[in-house]
Amino acid sequence: MQDPGSHTLEVDGLRKSFGSNEVLKGINLTIRSGEFIGLMGPNGAGKSTLIKILAGVYQASSGQIRLGGRTLTSLGDTEDVAFIHQDLGLVDALTIAENFALGNPPQRLFGPILNKRAERTSAARALGLVGLDLSVDTLLSDLTPGQKTLVAVARAMDRGARILIVDEATSTLPPRDAQGVILSLAAAAAAGATVVMVTHKLSEILEATSRVLVILDGEMVRDAPTHGLDRAALVEMLMQHESDPHNLDDASHQTRDPVLELRGVHFEDLGPIDLTLNAGEVIGISGLPGSGLHDIALLVNGTLKPHKGEVVESRPRLTRALVPPHRESQGGFGELSIRENMALSALGRWRRLSRVLKPRREELDCARVASELSIKPASIDTTFDILSGGNKQKVIFGRALLLNPDVFVLCEPTRGVDVGTRSEIYRLIRELARGGAAVLVASSDAEDLFSVCDRVALVADGRLQQLRPVSELSTSELELMV
Amino acid sequence: MFEESITVLVFLLIFLGFGLWLQDTFLNVSARMLDVHQSVPVLMLGLAVIVTLIPGKFDLSVSGVATLTTFAVVGLTVKNELPFPVAVGAAVAVGLGVGLINGVLVEYLNVNAFIATLGTGAICTGLAAVYSNGAYLGATPGTPDMPTWFRNFGTFVNKPPVAIVWVMIVLAVVGAFFVVDRFRPAAWSKTRWLVAKSAMFVSVILVLQFVTLLSTWVAQVSWMLLMLLLVALTMAVLLQYTTFGRQLQAIGSNRSAAALAGVRVRRQVVKSFVLGGFLAALAGISIAASQGSASPDVASAFLLPAFAAAFLSTVVFSDGRFTVGGTIIGGVFVVWVGIGLIVGGLPSTWTNVINGGVLIGAVSLSTAVRRRRT
Ligand SMILES: Nc1ncnc2c1ncn2[C@@H]1O[C@H](COP(=O)(O)OP(=O)(O)OP(=O)(O)O)[C@@H](O)[C@H]1O
Ligand SMILES: [Mg+2]
Repeated sequence: MQDPGSHTLEVDGLRKSFGSNEVLKGINLTIRSGEFIGLMGPNGAGKSTLIKILAGVYQASSGQIRLGGRTLTSLGDTEDVAFIHQDLGLVDALTIAENFALGNPPQRLFGPILNKRAERTSAARALGLVGLDLSVDTLLSDLTPGQKTLVAVARAMDRGARILIVDEATSTLPPRDAQGVILSLAAAAAAGATVVMVTHKLSEILEATSRVLVILDGEMVRDAPTHGLDRAALVEMLMQHESDPHNLDDASHQTRDPVLELRGVHFEDLGPIDLTLNAGEVIGISGLPGSGLHDIALLVNGTLKPHKGEVVESRPRLTRALVPPHRESQGGFGELSIRENMALSALGRWRRLSRVLKPRREELDCARVASELSIKPASIDTTFDILSGGNKQKVIFGRALLLNPDVFVLCEPTRGVDVGTRSEIYRLIRELARGGAAVLVASSDAEDLFSVCDRVALVADGRLQQLRPVSELSTSELELMV
Repeated sequence: MFEESITVLVFLLIFLGFGLWLQDTFLNVSARMLDVHQSVPVLMLGLAVIVTLIPGKFDLSVSGVATLTTFAVVGLTVKNELPFPVAVGAAVAVGLGVGLINGVLVEYLNVNAFIATLGTGAICTGLAAVYSNGAYLGATPGTPDMPTWFRNFGTFVNKPPVAIVWVMIVLAVVGAFFVVDRFRPAAWSKTRWLVAKSAMFVSVILVLQFVTLLSTWVAQVSWMLLMLLLVALTMAVLLQYTTFGRQLQAIGSNRSAAALAGVRVRRQVVKSFVLGGFLAALAGISIAASQGSASPDVASAFLLPAFAAAFLSTVVFSDGRFTVGGTIIGGVFVVWVGIGLIVGGLPSTWTNVINGGVLIGAVSLSTAVRRRRT
């Protein structure tokens, strides 16, 4: 229907600096219609910055953006291009059809009277495109996170977008929902649309994309067709040392004293739940969204109080630390520095008798943990707000590490972190257990479960199933579980 | 570093401009320090409001508390003929008590902070009026008066030993020396920063000493200013270097995240209201000391300038946070700008117009500068 050449996206010598920090160092790109691009790179490499420049959120320091030969300052105002960020820009309190109508020029019957019917039919058609079988009158708040992402994709297509640019839209989704999103993006690409997708998940790259771009430190270092690549090749491209997730040191479990126990706990639709956390052991639980997976974690952490049953602590004043499931809203303090974010739970460590903190010690300890987690930028006085997504996750993980509690409650610990850091976090979790801590990992990522956990179980129908040693399970079984 | 200092640079330029324009009538050290001395209650109220602004709550009751405590100090000694320490103790108790009530209303009964503190503030102002029959209260011949040392404490002509003032100033400078580490550019090495920082501090101090004759200013510090300095230093340490202060900052930034990170949010916010009430009581006591009497609604005109100083602190050497130092610097400059114009011939009824203008001007300027960088 359209000349395919007219939607070629070209980026030429794009540079971006924040103050003295050069984040993009001359990016060149040519993307043609129908391509499905996977954009990869370590945390803080500059992927989101590139996309925000394309979207017009930031201004490039220099360089050109061309669409179909026309030079533009950004693609933000172009109808042909749609951006899907992690924050989907949908309103929970409205129905699907109303969300579609938001920001569109209103379709009118006559005068100020809106043509609701036309809006609803076009919305229904777009939902069909992404394979969602839902009424357009469903409230957004009734949808699963995956369905919401699909609605955002559908809305973009409904507006006639020929180029879809997606930044880590799948990183917060459970595997099955992520799968659905990837499939509908692939379908869109097959139908002639261009898709650019940022992701840290190798499987998504291999499954769906046609071409892989790798950004390292603000430079485009690789540009290769996906065809013919495998997991190992991808990992090598990312220049991260490959992790060997299966070398768990099962021998080192000396003490297995129970530290914390849930006994017949009920909470809302959950229960009865029985769960024992032992010192030196990593327990993994998983489940679909809405299964109450994270509620169990919050019960263990003491944030939620059971309606019935009890949480038994083996000793008084048991310390616990939480990595909360929703990083943006529950995890970080945007205006505070990395140091203040990390130190918050563990301030008691640096308190003198006079109750005044020892700033030097605090700084040293925070800097040590920041470098262990290879947080970028390295200065711990950086404001949290400007960190890349994965680095935010690391800071929040660092906060739990600094507290060094008896029980770690880790929800989605590797959400949005790059391949190298993922294995580093796994190594750290194993080390915590070896040091005698009890660890609970509540994750919808199968890799988390089989890479670090000793025993795992699924939450389904409000119950926690029998814990089973990971060594007895095969990978496929685990992936099926989730 | 530049964005954070832009407002201070503009302040200094304005001060310089006044100096060139009005010459000795403006550049009169003793007169300018008297202005600051008279603003001690306002600055103290500014500190009282930032304590609750940091965790994100407005405390509008501070001026009411200050009025009531002024009446408590003056009235209980003069009218009820109680011993003076009892009167001061009662005033402090009023401040702590109202703060506690505010905190409980806001945190445990979930009343909007604006409404709760508007109410308690009105009650305090009202109680003061009821107590005094809406009239002026002061010593008359035949009634006991507040002790002389207390009146001396409140007058400008009585100065503490200069050595004490210097000690406090050195402490403040040393503190600032460490605090600016937050602004170290990421690309700079530790030694490069240390050298640059030391050079900057030394040159600022030299300029202050030889151009603006720092020591003559220091010699004009009154007892009440010394107390303000002491309170400010304590508060700065409390807010930056204690668990309580850090947790307040976290609560203000993201309340639910703070709770998940193990902060006992409600408790800490209640404590901040209590501390705010205490500082408001100190403001009331300062009013009693400097005026020697209590007149109806004495502190209500201080509420807006106090909030103005607090909000100015977010743009004075700061990246959007409320700071103790910024509140003092911002508050003092607002006073001086106003005075400068008045000395220059503007009727003093314009004071509030100037206050409002400075607040809006300073905050929008520094926001604009910061916006341009991304
Ligand atoms: N507004 C800003 N001011 C200063 N620095 C910034 C700003 N935004 C991003 N940065 C810096 O730019 C770098 C690149 O960040 P970006 O968000 O593009 O990374 P990313 O590749 O998307 O990483 P992730 O995989 O973790 O999401 C980071 O070091 C970040 O701290
Ligand atoms: Mg990103």
